[in-house]
Amino acid sequence: MVSLQFHPANAKPMSLCPSFQTLNPTKTLKSYPKPRRSVAIASALQWNRKPQLAGETPRVVVITSGKGGVGKTTTTANVGLSLARLGFSVVAIDADVGLRNLDLLLGLENRVNYTVVEVLNGDCRLDQALVRDKRWSNFELLCISKPRSKLPIGFGGKALVWLVDALKSREEGSPDFILIDCPAGIDAGFITAITPANEAVLVTTPDITSLRDADRVTGLLECDGIRDIKMIVNRVRTDMIKGEDMMSVLDVQEMLGLALLGVIPEDSEVIRSTNRGYPLVLNKPPTLAGLAFEQAAWRLVEQDSMQAVMVEEEPKKRGFFSFFGG
Amino acid sequence: MASIWSLQFHSLSFLLSIWGNKHWLSSNVVRLPTKLLLNHSQLKNNRKVQLRAIAGSSGSEVEQPTQNAVVNSVERGLVLNSEHPFSRFQGTISSFPPVVLMMKKYGGSNLVIGFCIATAILIIAVRAYVVGKSRDNIHGSVADLVRRGHLRSDRRGISSPLKYDDPFNNPLVKVGKGNSTVEMCGKVYRLAPVTLTRDQQAIHQKRRSRAYQWKRPTIFLKEGDSIPPDVDPDTIRWIPANHPFATTTSEIDEDLAQNNVYQKHGVPFRIQAEHEALQRKLEALQNDEKLNNLMIDGRNAKDFQRPFKLYSKSNDPVEESPNNSKVVYSKPPRPKLDPNSSQGNLSSEEMQKP
Ligand SMILES: Nc1ncnc2c1ncn2[C@@H]1O[C@H](COP(=O)(O)OP(=O)(O)OP(=O)(O)O)[C@@H](O)[C@H]1O
Ligand SMILES: [Mg+2]
Repeated sequence: MVSLQFHPANAKPMSLCPSFQTLNPTKTLKSYPKPRRSVAIASALQWNRKPQLAGETPRVVVITSGKGGVGKTTTTANVGLSLARLGFSVVAIDADVGLRNLDLLLGLENRVNYTVVEVLNGDCRLDQALVRDKRWSNFELLCISKPRSKLPIGFGGKALVWLVDALKSREEGSPDFILIDCPAGIDAGFITAITPANEAVLVTTPDITSLRDADRVTGLLECDGIRDIKMIVNRVRTDMIKGEDMMSVLDVQEMLGLALLGVIPEDSEVIRSTNRGYPLVLNKPPTLAGLAFEQAAWRLVEQDSMQAVMVEEEPKKRGFFSFFGG
Repeated sequence: MASIWSLQFHSLSFLLSIWGNKHWLSSNVVRLPTKLLLNHSQLKNNRKVQLRAIAGSSGSEVEQPTQNAVVNSVERGLVLNSEHPFSRFQGTISSFPPVVLMMKKYGGSNLVIGFCIATAILIIAVRAYVVGKSRDNIHGSVADLVRRGHLRSDRRGISSPLKYDDPFNNPLVKVGKGNSTVEMCGKVYRLAPVTLTRDQQAIHQKRRSRAYQWKRPTIFLKEGDSIPPDVDPDTIRWIPANHPFATTTSEIDEDLAQNNVYQKHGVPFRIQAEHEALQRKLEALQNDEKLNNLMIDGRNAKDFQRPFKLYSKSNDPVEESPNNSKVVYSKPPRPKLDPNSSQGNLSSEEMQKP
């Protein structure tokens, strides 16, 4: 319980005298919205510094879920751009053969002229198929195929391995992160997408159908030798969890037994940002989901996981200004 | 919204934000403690000192027991009602020096109230304007789909998205004292520690490895294909023949595809190949032409001439007047010019060739 202005524990410095009140910034001005440095806590949030890149580059991360529509593409776009904003070079590969939409989320749909299929066929070079984001020039998008073209899955997986290799040895240096947006399901597209990855981000929502698929996919990933699997729980509604209408994040973790990379709240801004082709993490002012994605990206860089989750909404301790701000 | 608001306004003076934000209600609320304070100041003119004394619990409070009691009860009332926003509001208002001073100076004068009301109206207007503006800035509406060319409607507004600048300094995320709470975007969340241990993780892993046994397919075959002799049947993935997005066969072979991926400079393979093919075709054509020219020179020349004859024939009746004689004299040189030149070309080629 965070004390309000008149909480008994803080009764001593309380006073009606104006001079006292202003001299006591921790009380009235507690939520005074002046940019204040937050306390750095390893488990929670760390701003004001650049995250330390852990592991070998390029980090090849596949973002997968099993079930469709749980937010893989949203996660790829937002985590990818967050990483770029944090100063890392990122190549996002849309491996959703046929049903690609990462380009839409990023607002780059008009700039995709060539895809991996064209690269394989020799219609263009790899560097011509990479679409550089104009907002963050260290972010590049690579699509596997055009909506109606066919990827030869006979060597689709190998093709992705070659791609990673080629990116590693390119002149401007290897990218720090290669994010692969995996298609739903566990058939050929999935198998292709996970081939070059050494770590995985499992996106799930706190419902039983999504969880079962997530467990299955985790099993397959582990069979394939991908050991570093962390999960992002998406579309969490704290109000429903409080009312016991939704599994809590800790319930999800108990069922899957995976380390937590992030918890993303349900946020109507997600659909708005899709409309705009402008990922959430670039919103100003930032939204809850955007901040959560940014933190997830932060942890991904440091190969960290959440040590604490935000569970319950408390009534905001209302300070002077927030009251008026209503 | 609250935090955005206060962010925008935190640079404004205290007084302004007091008046600006809570419309008519606020002025009523403010008047309440005003009266209270005024009464008190009538009773005792040195009330301010009194209050401070009480708060600091210094010895002077013994001097006026009655006054003390009054103030204490007020204070207790505030404490009891602390959950209620109004009472908190009163507390904060009455503790502001400018307000108190103003109240003292002008008593209950209507002038002040009028002035305050006017100020309030002004601030409300400004706020409404700013809110309206900031609403314009909320992006991600259907208008953006229009801007990107997915929807067609030019009546919709066109917006320019904003960037959130500094990823290393985020004023909207604050961690509370004792690491037990975190405030994001103006909402406070409790932090509950994650309880998953390494052991539990390992148990889950074991459970999964028992439940799902899987070998990643390394070979893809169309349904109906026969299995190649040296292939482990477990690693075959059967692809339905009508799979919409993927093919098991490809017109390009694997090594070539790999080379294409690794190619860093120069013309892409396919483009090069097509270019070369075209070049060869062209050369072949040219050779053919030369041969033709060598073989049937005269007829070729006639072929060239024919269109010009047709041309002049078809043109003549339209363009020319019935006075044909003149035309016949003036005309012939022009159509003759071209066949001549072409013949000249041919002859020059002929001369070069042998
Ligand atoms: N945190 C969220 N809050 C609200 N809506 C969300 C959130 N995350 C995702 N969505 C919505 O869910 C839908 C599916 O998201 P997305 O396309 O990212 O899923 P996906 O897993 O990539 O789907 P697919 O399996 O088809 O590739 C989108 O319409 C998106 O707007
Ligand atoms: Mg997707």
